[in-house]
Amino acid sequence: MVLKINNITKNFGGISALTDVSFSIKEGEIYGLIGPNGAGKTTMFNMITNMFPPTSGEITFLDEKITGFKPHKITNKGICRTFQNIRLFSQMTVLENVLVGGHTRSKSGVFSGVLRTKGQRAEEERLRVTAKEILELVGLSEFEDAIAENLAYGQQRRLEIARALASDPKLLLLDEPAAGMNDTETADLYHLIKKVQERGITTLLIEHDMPLVMRLCDRITVLNFGKKLAEGTPEEIQNNQAVIEAYLGSEGDDESA
Amino acid sequence: MLGDFLNPYYLQVASFIMINIILGLSIYVTLSSGQLSLGNAGFMGIGAYTSALLTINYDMPIVVSVIAGAIVAGLVGILIGIPSLRLTGVYLAIATLGFGEVIRVFMINWESLTKGAVGLSGIPQIGRELLKVSRDAGFNPLDIGLKNNQYVYLLVLIILVIINILLIWFLVRQNKSRVGRAFAAIKMDEKAAEAMGVNITYYKVLSFVQGAVISGFAGALFAHVMGYISPADFSYHRAVEILIFAVFGGSEVIWGSIFGATFMTLMPEVLRFISEYRYMIYGAILILMMAFRPQGIIDVPLLQKLQLSKRRGKHGSKN
Amino acid sequence: MLLEQLINGITLGSIYAIVALGFTLVFGVLGIINMAHGEIFMFGAFVGVMVTSTLGWPIWMAFLAAIIVTAILGYMLERFALRPLRGKKGVSHLAPLISTIGVSILLENLSHHLFGAGNHPFKNAFAEIHFTIGSITIYVVQIVIFVISVVLMMALSYWLSKTRAGKALRATAENLDTASILGVNTRQIITLTVVMASAMGGIAGILVGMAFNSVNPQMGLSMGLKGLAIIILGGMGNVKGAMAGGLILGLAETLIVAYGDSGYRDAIAFLAIIVILLIRPQGLFGQKTSEGRP
Repeated sequence: MVLKINNITKNFGGISALTDVSFSIKEGEIYGLIGPNGAGKTTMFNMITNMFPPTSGEITFLDEKITGFKPHKITNKGICRTFQNIRLFSQMTVLENVLVGGHTRSKSGVFSGVLRTKGQRAEEERLRVTAKEILELVGLSEFEDAIAENLAYGQQRRLEIARALASDPKLLLLDEPAAGMNDTETADLYHLIKKVQERGITTLLIEHDMPLVMRLCDRITVLNFGKKLAEGTPEEIQNNQAVIEAYLGSEGDDESA
Repeated sequence: MLGDFLNPYYLQVASFIMINIILGLSIYVTLSSGQLSLGNAGFMGIGAYTSALLTINYDMPIVVSVIAGAIVAGLVGILIGIPSLRLTGVYLAIATLGFGEVIRVFMINWESLTKGAVGLSGIPQIGRELLKVSRDAGFNPLDIGLKNNQYVYLLVLIILVIINILLIWFLVRQNKSRVGRAFAAIKMDEKAAEAMGVNITYYKVLSFVQGAVISGFAGALFAHVMGYISPADFSYHRAVEILIFAVFGGSEVIWGSIFGATFMTLMPEVLRFISEYRYMIYGAILILMMAFRPQGIIDVPLLQKLQLSKRRGKHGSKN
Repeated sequence: MLLEQLINGITLGSIYAIVALGFTLVFGVLGIINMAHGEIFMFGAFVGVMVTSTLGWPIWMAFLAAIIVTAILGYMLERFALRPLRGKKGVSHLAPLISTIGVSILLENLSHHLFGAGNHPFKNAFAEIHFTIGSITIYVVQIVIFVISVVLMMALSYWLSKTRAGKALRATAENLDTASILGVNTRQIITLTVVMASAMGGIAGILVGMAFNSVNPQMGLSMGLKGLAIIILGGMGNVKGAMAGGLILGLAETLIVAYGDSGYRDAIAFLAIIVILLIRPQGLFGQKTSEGRP
């Protein structure tokens, strides 16, 4: 198992955002985390990356307990995320954004950086080569010198994925990567995530675009009001009565659209 | 003759510009990771007093004492930085402002060491020491047509210019390195930087301590250029003045602080009648800048425009 | 005399509390540290000097004049240094801080030009009237200061909790957007807050004049910094915290002057900040949030 979520509960003040949620992800899987708005999906990402600590429960990554680690250390271990509300370094260039993604995979400090030692130059070169290769993968090569905030919306989403990939993760957390994308962009995204899978990277995906989720994911967990409602393959989920009711009940409009 | 061109007064003003640029850079480097430190006047004071006392009491060579001043300021910076950087934004600004006041109160009250509000005088001056060294080596400034004071001020200026060039080189290179990218990432989006694996506490403390070291260094130089320091030199007004360098010149880019420090040092010298109203004008500048150009005079788009027109100019001359 | 020192400490502390309340109101509503508050306070004190010493009018006129002048200053501060920054895209959260530092420098040096540097005597008809109980000497002016401070704090608490405008102010402090959706004229409330906070600064200025019989242009800075220390001590935006923090600082300073080294009096406030930030960063009365400070 790459990631094991064991009985995670999170309370904010008196409100319970997650209640006793457990699931685990196998290596190389594309795992879906779906549910109506406010079901606790992004909170789960915040638990995994420890942006907030869980109230109870624990998370293990590659058989190591990571609950309580600082977020940067978790990234260093090999988990990297994207954000639902895009959080790029907006005034940096596209390439620079990806280079920051490579932060944990490099180590030069103040003096080697200023003196440009041999090791530092080699490291920068390696970071650049990797970054360009990743930009190629996500299809942003031609924009490498553009300022991030000037990119189109769909491109910004892809840049977030590129930046996360630059940290060389074993587990990639994608928070609604298809939000705001048109059909062509979504199709590109499908291929991108598949290519990421071919590289041996495990993906945990939050997404509202159901056709995309059903085509992409190997297994899915459905959350509703912070509780696990169902888990299974896309077929099992699509035929699950409780899931259908939860979606029809709260997001019927969304589904028909 | 060279001597006819070198007005000691201009040389001295130029030296002050150089010291102020270093101070401007000290606040810039901390701002480059998105934090406002108003304690740089305090660190400047620590550097100045440390270096001055080491030379006065222990006859330490100026080169060593200046470095010691910067290091002591940096050590205090680590002590203050680690707890303070749990705070963000305005809290940090106030805590550091308070720190500066505490330092000033100590300078005034620790009379046995600091001579209190009167300050320290008779601090060995860089220029005089160098003149002595030259004389001992059998060199007389008059040989190259310079009066003693011209020679002294010129040497000081040259040393300060070299220091500035080195410092700017250091910061420009750092900006383009992994460390600089981490600073910028924290400044633009702290959470995202953390999610990308940047140890934000470490880099925040690093940029804060760099600011402390640089201002301590500037303070030590100040002591040995002036030959006289008192707690009033490192008060709240100094903190605000340093802030103005960055805010007016432009806090986003390194050239902003340099321009700001130069302009703000020259302004009261050139416009003599202004110097009486200097701080009132400073105040007005801060208000107006925040309302109309919060990023300062020099920003990235302006630099790009300048570069473009330079390139165009080159093309024009070719054609 | 410990008891006498305690009385001195409470007198000083109640003035500090009034100054800190001005900071806390503005921070609570706008989330801004008003660095010019100390200078507005100092202007209030100078208005007091002019009214009582130059014109020879009674002290209540000084209060009235100081309130009017500082309220106008507060309005101008809001109008020219804060409002232009509000709602503008891409303005750093540090911008209002820097802008109010600008106002503070401007006002401090303006006062140099208007009133002249150095100490100005603050005349007060009942400055010397005192009585003794046993071995303790109490000045009437101390009682007056204490009573005025307490009345002011009670009036503010009542106003905040019971009146319509006070409730609107608290709603705005809670959440500006929500308040504006609920029909609160937030712009008016913001202006009112800054004006009111400034007028309280003006009153504190007169109280300080009465307490120390002397006023100078630098006192704005030192009082401003202490006010900041108090609100960090008591918890940012917390009204009770400002009052308690003011009293604690007043007592601590008086006691160190009486029993320790008076030179370090001005450092206490900041040493307190550093200690409090280490032990309880949300302040004595602040509430801990899971996300740390905003």
